Amino acid sequence: MKDECKQAIAQAYLYLDGEGLSGEERSKLETHLHECAPCFERVGLEKEVTHLLSRLKGCTPCPAELKNKITSLLES
Amino acid sequence: MAEAKRVELSTEDKKRFQRDAIPLLDSLYAGALRMTRNPADAEDLLQETMMRAYRSFDRFEEGTNLKAWLFRILTNAYINTYRKKQREPQKISQDEVQDFDLYQELKDHDPQLSVTPETLVLDRLVDGDILQAIEELPEQFRLAVVLSDVEDFSYAEMAEIMDVPLGTVMSRLHRGRKALQKRLWDVARERGIVKGEAKLDGKAARNAPAGGAH
Repeated sequence: MKDECKQAIAQAYLYLDGEGLSGEERSKLETHLHECAPCFERVGLEKEVTHLLSRLKGCTPCPAELKNKITSLLES
Repeated sequence: MAEAKRVELSTEDKKRFQRDAIPLLDSLYAGALRMTRNPADAEDLLQETMMRAYRSFDRFEEGTNLKAWLFRILTNAYINTYRKKQREPQKISQDEVQDFDLYQELKDHDPQLSVTPETLVLDRLVDGDILQAIEELPEQFRLAVVLSDVEDFSYAEMAEIMDVPLGTVMSRLHRGRKALQKRLWDVARERGIVKGEAKLDGKAARNAPAGGAH
């Protein structure tokens, strides 16, 4: 595996999470992703798996009874 | 906390708590449920969290992130009270997790497969499968993955909530995501969404009708 690919994989989460990479590192990585199909697919896959989890948002809302219980506890 | 000194909040703080904190109950309940993995404990944990938060709300700095502040109280309450009585899921071998490479697994499964969102087999998993996979993660990984990928906290907020350095957040999140991918992949295979021996199965399936016809 080429050094650029290794670096792209190592930086994938930082890139997807929008954390820690400088503007220069970011554009260097993006250039590599445009040129390297396996890395592009790999980072895309990481993104999709992470997005799977966002399906869970709101899937277990706080039961209404519990909300009422807490509200009245606070008022007491 | 029962013995904690009662501090009477100002009317304005009370209103502010009702207005800003109560709407976060859904997120907090989901977080409590992911931590405790059972509704009865999640309910107790959430009540305790909200009572603690209410009592110390005068110390919350307005303009800072209330959701992160509440999640920190939730996490502390969980660690201090509930974790002790919970059985930890089986430890996942570090090597097994570090080495897991979902991209390579997919490519090995089908070399022709173009790994795009449209073809992502894991997309066929139902929410229950994903929840189960999360619940089977060791606690520290579970917490990191949920805070980041379900609740959208930044690394800095997670460091604050979990009370660990930034580097620890990144390493737990990385390992947690890899461990989760491995669980999801295993579940996909158990469900038959992807076949363990895809190529062999395919060959067997093609040969079977011919043999059966005689």
